[in-house]
Amino acid sequence: MKHEKTIESALAAAQKAGADEAVVTARRSEKSELNVDAGKMSLYRTTETVQLSLVAYVKGSKGSSSTDRFDAEGIALAAGEAVAAARSAPSDPANAIAPASAPGSDAYGDERPDSAAMYDRLTAFVAWVSDRFSKTKLEQCILQFVRGENSFGNSDGVRMESRRGLYDFSAMFTTKDGARASSFNYSGATLRSLERPLEDWGGLAELLRQSAEQLDPGSVGGKFVGDLIVTPHCLGDFVGALDEAYLGGYSLIKGTSPWKDSLGKEVASPLLTLESLPRSVDTASFFTSDGFEDRDWVAVEKGMLRNFDLDLYAANKTGKTRSPGSAGFWSVRPGASSLAEMIAGTKRGLLLCRFSGGNPAENGDFSGVAKNSYYIEDGKLVRPVTETMVSGNVGGFIASIDAVSKELIDFGSARFPWVRGKGVTISGK
Amino acid sequence: MFYEGIERHSGLFSEYTELRVQENRTCRVGLLNGDVQGNGSSVKGGVSARVHKDGVWGFASVPGRETEAIGRVVASATGNARFLAGREKRDLGRLPRRAATASHDLSTTKPRKSQKDLVDFARALDAYVLSKGKGLMTRSISLACLDMEKTLLTSDGSRSSSLVPRTILYVAASTEASGGGSVEFYDVYGGRGQFEDVFGDPAALYRDLDDLLERLAKKAEGIYPEAGLREAVLGPDLAGILAHEAIGHTVEADLVLGGSVAADFMGRKVASELVTLVDFAHTALGVTCPRPVWVDDEGTEARDAVLIEEGVLRSYMHNKESAAHFGVAPTGNARAFEFSDEPLIRMRNTAILPGKSKLAELIASVDEGYYFVRPSNGQADSTSEFMFGITEGYEIKKGRLGRALRDTTVSGVAFDMLKTVTALSDDMSWMCGGMCGKKQMIPVGMGGPAVRCRITVGGR
Repeated sequence: MKHEKTIESALAAAQKAGADEAVVTARRSEKSELNVDAGKMSLYRTTETVQLSLVAYVKGSKGSSSTDRFDAEGIALAAGEAVAAARSAPSDPANAIAPASAPGSDAYGDERPDSAAMYDRLTAFVAWVSDRFSKTKLEQCILQFVRGENSFGNSDGVRMESRRGLYDFSAMFTTKDGARASSFNYSGATLRSLERPLEDWGGLAELLRQSAEQLDPGSVGGKFVGDLIVTPHCLGDFVGALDEAYLGGYSLIKGTSPWKDSLGKEVASPLLTLESLPRSVDTASFFTSDGFEDRDWVAVEKGMLRNFDLDLYAANKTGKTRSPGSAGFWSVRPGASSLAEMIAGTKRGLLLCRFSGGNPAENGDFSGVAKNSYYIEDGKLVRPVTETMVSGNVGGFIASIDAVSKELIDFGSARFPWVRGKGVTISGK
Repeated sequence: MFYEGIERHSGLFSEYTELRVQENRTCRVGLLNGDVQGNGSSVKGGVSARVHKDGVWGFASVPGRETEAIGRVVASATGNARFLAGREKRDLGRLPRRAATASHDLSTTKPRKSQKDLVDFARALDAYVLSKGKGLMTRSISLACLDMEKTLLTSDGSRSSSLVPRTILYVAASTEASGGGSVEFYDVYGGRGQFEDVFGDPAALYRDLDDLLERLAKKAEGIYPEAGLREAVLGPDLAGILAHEAIGHTVEADLVLGGSVAADFMGRKVASELVTLVDFAHTALGVTCPRPVWVDDEGTEARDAVLIEEGVLRSYMHNKESAAHFGVAPTGNARAFEFSDEPLIRMRNTAILPGKSKLAELIASVDEGYYFVRPSNGQADSTSEFMFGITEGYEIKKGRLGRALRDTTVSGVAFDMLKTVTALSDDMSWMCGGMCGKKQMIPVGMGGPAVRCRITVGGR
């Protein structure tokens, strides 16, 4: 174990300070990053960060402290602060730590970045965009390699460790021709190697093509209730809202989740299967934040609610079952339709490519602006839209899904297809 | 305590170099339905260097502040700059200079409270909400403190130290909505200063909490607004986020270079002549701002940036590099959040200046429309199309406030929408709890008066 001595020292320090139980996480990461700003290579950045997080439990109360020091004095200080914080709080019977399990470790990815290869990949991407989309400006591109070490230990004897090396790329861009301009758009992915050209990461090539043709958008005019085809780039926002308002521990502890009594029941279209795949994606996780070995798991299977997103505390608090693994590595299983068929089968609606919206309400209501999106009428993309808003309810939309695409985009940490749902209010000027 | 003697490291510099020693300290208390779910503190600090060579930058950071770490980080940043400069073959770019020496410590002089004091403060507020709230489904109290302490030395002669704290309290409650489901209402209190200077007796907040519960009850009976382009009065908090999201981001010089439509509008009319919009450095209308910046993280003496003056676009916000590109003086807008972050062009305290009308007059002048009071999040676009979430609003019928609104979103194209402004109230207030995201997060201040305008509403 890379940080075994630090973990053992911190657990001992917590016990010495008066903790009944304790959890320690030691993290260290090194990042190498290249930036393009306004189309030009601008910055080479290297950083090192360390963090020791200590959670102490005293008579059922919890307190925490986090420090950037791994030395004995720093550890003792953090342990004292965590115990003092725990003593300042009332007891909560839901507080608990993961039970003992076999020690485990996992490692993948490069040990160190190839800076010259990163530079060459990024330079090639800038040239690729310039050659094909002369009016498109790369507002900012960030290519980085992060080598991370994450060690976990608790006073019940759990010891976990993971080490990983990942490349992350994101590009933000807009197209401008005189006074005509598209909305900015962006995408990217997190992958284990630099093998693929950057324009292939996160469906960037298609978004760049769309940007170049979005110089003369129009509003939909008036208001109607129609269909939404949500793209993979945008579906993550909807899944995030679903997690926050329907699946997640916070909404269940609050009691506001519309699905709180629906476990094992149909909550969504039978075409929808939503999973979290912490062991299968490029950015795989080996253990959960509370110290359990991670597992892939299903939240909604063919429309049936199978699991909530609950950590140990939230499970104890709600009396429900802890989710089998970490959330956030979301994947929607592909369906049987092609995207072209989905567009052809839409009478009136939008191809929603980016959603700029307010935080979803507790009841799942959403409202926001359709960005980089297209108006669909009689099965055809009519024009890109501007000043067009969409409003609806996340749960209602999920239940109304009538098509899921065969095609999907793998973002490294998530995999999404295109989905079509109904009953969304679409309004223009 | 500020890092002492940073000048002794100037001998390490071989190119234009910024050396920054920084520590961010946080504490937080979070209660949900009376259970203490968040309760702790954190410290994150280290040293960073940024080096400019032949038009490109190298940056490096490491934890710790020992002499060895400082030597290593300057050498790495210099090596990184040379790595890029050797490949890019750019023109020699000289950066403009407005060096400054300053030290500002805004920490409290009162005895410091313990973590238990903070937990007890939050629990007292929670107990009050529980005692006063009728039929609440949930209640949450969140207290967040952030001290940012920086010491900076630049090779062109700047040396500055600052400790700028912020303490924010977030209170939320939800109840059953008419027609089923739940509805939530929240408010944010606090601002610049450590806990001891911002809050005292919890009872001082009880009237605010009564007000919050009253507004929640109205919202529970609320309606969805009618979608489309509507007459509206935006409350001061909305004006602040309008200043920040709708205009501010489009006139950050790096975004102008990246394709913002503001590139075409310098010196042109972009708003009603009633609108003057300023990004204040540290003092506005004689009062210290929520997020004062005296010297920015490139060592530039910070000055106010008058972005729109009586409806005409007058300036962008600049760092040294963008100022050199546009041939103007830097405005002191280069800011970094953590020690491991490089300075970016960021807003500081962005506000629309007040007008001459009264809020009541603005509302009375609307025959049919909405009064939007509190925003949640907001986003901007290079086209100046913006969006804000709305968590509190009311319908206006024949000049009088009516029913409350459920959560919604408003949007518009800023450089069109600002031309529809027909009145501003004669008072202004600041939102002090804002965090702006742009590669890094950063605390910002946003302010303004009430604004009468036409805006697109994303209702039902």
